[in-house]
Amino acid sequence: MQNWIDSLIRGWGQDPATWPWAQFVYLAFMGLFAFIVINFAAITAGIFSWAERRVAARMQSRVGPNRVGPFGFLQWIADAVKLLLKEDLVPTEADSVLFRAAPYFMMVGFACVFVCLPFSHTLIVADMNIGIFYILAVTALIVVGIIMSGWSSNSKWSLFGAIRSAAQIISYEIPAGMALMIPVMLAGTLSTQGIIRAQGGFPWQWFIFDNPAAFAAFFIYFISALAEGNRTPFDLPEAESELVSGYNTEYSGMRFSYFFLVEWGNMWIMSALATTMFLGGWQLPGLTPEKFDALTGGIAVVAELASLALFAGKTLFFVFVVMWLRWTLPRIRVDQMMNMCWKYLVPMSFAGVIFVAGWMLAVHAVPVLGVAMRAALFLAGAGAVIAFALRTMKNLRDTGDKFDFTSNW
Amino acid sequence: MAETALAYVKNVRDTAKSFWEGMSVTLSYMFRKPITTQYPDRTGVPVRDTIPARYRGFLEVDMDICTACQACERACPIAVINIDILKGDGKLVPKLRMERFDIDIGKCMYCGLCVEPCPTGAIQHTREFEGAVMNFDNLTLRFVPDVLKPVVAYKPPKGAESFPRQPLGEITRKLIVAWDAPPPPFPSKEEAAKDHGKPREGALDPAAMGRQLAAKALAVKDDKPKLQKILEEAMAGTDCGDCGYPDCFGYSDAIAKGKDTATDKCAPGGADSKAMLETILVTLKSGKLPEAAGGGPAPSGAEGGGPAAGQGSAAGEPQVPLKDAPAGPPLSKTLSKDELYKVVLDAMAGTDCGDCEYDDCDGYTKGIVYEGQTDLNRCAPGGEDTRAKLYNIMLGTKPPPK
Repeated sequence: MQNWIDSLIRGWGQDPATWPWAQFVYLAFMGLFAFIVINFAAITAGIFSWAERRVAARMQSRVGPNRVGPFGFLQWIADAVKLLLKEDLVPTEADSVLFRAAPYFMMVGFACVFVCLPFSHTLIVADMNIGIFYILAVTALIVVGIIMSGWSSNSKWSLFGAIRSAAQIISYEIPAGMALMIPVMLAGTLSTQGIIRAQGGFPWQWFIFDNPAAFAAFFIYFISALAEGNRTPFDLPEAESELVSGYNTEYSGMRFSYFFLVEWGNMWIMSALATTMFLGGWQLPGLTPEKFDALTGGIAVVAELASLALFAGKTLFFVFVVMWLRWTLPRIRVDQMMNMCWKYLVPMSFAGVIFVAGWMLAVHAVPVLGVAMRAALFLAGAGAVIAFALRTMKNLRDTGDKFDFTSNW
Repeated sequence: MAETALAYVKNVRDTAKSFWEGMSVTLSYMFRKPITTQYPDRTGVPVRDTIPARYRGFLEVDMDICTACQACERACPIAVINIDILKGDGKLVPKLRMERFDIDIGKCMYCGLCVEPCPTGAIQHTREFEGAVMNFDNLTLRFVPDVLKPVVAYKPPKGAESFPRQPLGEITRKLIVAWDAPPPPFPSKEEAAKDHGKPREGALDPAAMGRQLAAKALAVKDDKPKLQKILEEAMAGTDCGDCGYPDCFGYSDAIAKGKDTATDKCAPGGADSKAMLETILVTLKSGKLPEAAGGGPAPSGAEGGGPAAGQGSAAGEPQVPLKDAPAGPPLSKTLSKDELYKVVLDAMAGTDCGDCEYDDCDGYTKGIVYEGQTDLNRCAPGGEDTRAKLYNIMLGTKPPPK
């Protein structure tokens, strides 16, 4: 970030190295970036709340909110205003200090992740060399917030939700961390930008198609991320039918909206991380990172915007997949959730790490092995996508319906 | 729980397979047309056109074929319908005009009882149902829009079976205002008191008209058809059938022939018709015209004082023709069966209530005349009156006390 600011200021004919108060300029920029990042997180979370309702409605043959603004797009603003105007209740028997503080822990843990999330070739708040490690570390703050809210509410439902959430998030941190180790090993760096740079613009250059273990790691990571974000089918901490609303049962108004902001904002985080680690991030096809760095002038701006759009597109697709999963799968039981983590995902992710270590040695010895595996996996993946599309069309036609995406919005 | 390696692999495979199937199903639903109908503003056709024809929605009155009989007003169990009648002499101004015909659809319970008795089908349920308004007063449908322009009652042609009606729903639809329309103006007390109690031009004076008709009736005393015409003039002339006769002709004919002595059966005519009919009947009986009441209020208790005279004699009147009935063989002995049938049917209340354990009045009459039914006490709506008549006709005696 500092380099970026330096180059910006040099562009105006100044040299910050000669300024005695340069540190304050950096501080001001830090504040600006923090403002932008938090607003980005809040606004995307709001928009996702609307998008999820529209997607859910469509999948259930309903219409969904479509009255506020075009396609009901301004619904999330209306909802946010409503939530902000609601009374901020603190239960009498609650531990009011912890109760009030809990949503802020959630928000901090959530917003800090954005520091290391890339958006495009240049756009990243701080490209730390321990990026992934940092993300995994600050995400843990969310658990603190959840347990605080559950404990301080002094309600059985809240406490049950919090305990379930703690058990779930701590369990799934392990497979998520191990699955993320695989791209880290392949790239040889923990920096998020470094991992993207180690991949390529074309699908077969992505880490997901690098070897079978990486392919499996992508799914392990995605499942674990769902569990960490309390998303269906792992929404046990918020199970409406059992716990009313889980750890946030006693909250109202703005504090309540923080919890949901974090939940929906998490969808961007998990998808952006999947895109970064496994799907080539912002890499444009046919443009290597080195050539990208060398671009200047208008073409650089165009490439920058293209990379931004590509990254956002990939991320939004996975956000959609997360919503899609929610309206497909029922909630699983606590024992099933634990079973899945400890008996399947954890051993598989460990095996994957060991396999990748061996695989890297093998490819180093016989480079053609890597190329052949990439080609095979890419073709298998492409075939699966086509087969899935055909299967979907068959499901559509089997019921005597026809493809109609445009009417009755 | 021990698990074989095979089962372990199978579990993984089953998970992947169920994801594959489940997600393709939900995605396929994403690309279908939602079945939701977006009421109210994005429906293909107006919703009222999609509901069954016999739906009981807002009431509608076609004033063009309303006879002003007020049968609907009387039928309404919760007084939702309010009709103000302006009566005329039938010459300078029409006999019946309506200066108000209000239906409070906010109070209406959509029972449909008002639709049943309507002789012309002027009042009907429409399929309109969307009446959400900010001001409750806007839910009163005023079918006579201007009180100063009263609507003349429709005189149905004799024997008509159907009546020309505007397409159902169009009148009511025009009366339903926008949801946020201001409430209708409500006259202040001073304004309302301004015209209160003042006689209107051409308004009916039942006392004067009663004397007029009585004078005419006296002149044609023995000419039953002419007498019937005069008597009919005293009635409202709506042919509503509330009197138990099919039309005004039936009732007036029955009175003219002395078969009916009740003067209070004309519901639309109300107190005015009753007063006029009584004036006529008293005149016919006494043979001399009652004196005019003079300019001031009628002297109380004065015999022959217009309406007061009518009311004074009302109590003793109905028995008069029976007392005067010729003492001889009963009608059942003198008339043919078919003639007797008509007479007996006339004596019945004509409500087809079925209380007599026959299907209708016709059935009971046939029972008495042709099938030898001897129980003459079964007509509940007719009461003592019908019972007396039946005993007189069939046996020539007075009914035994109950």
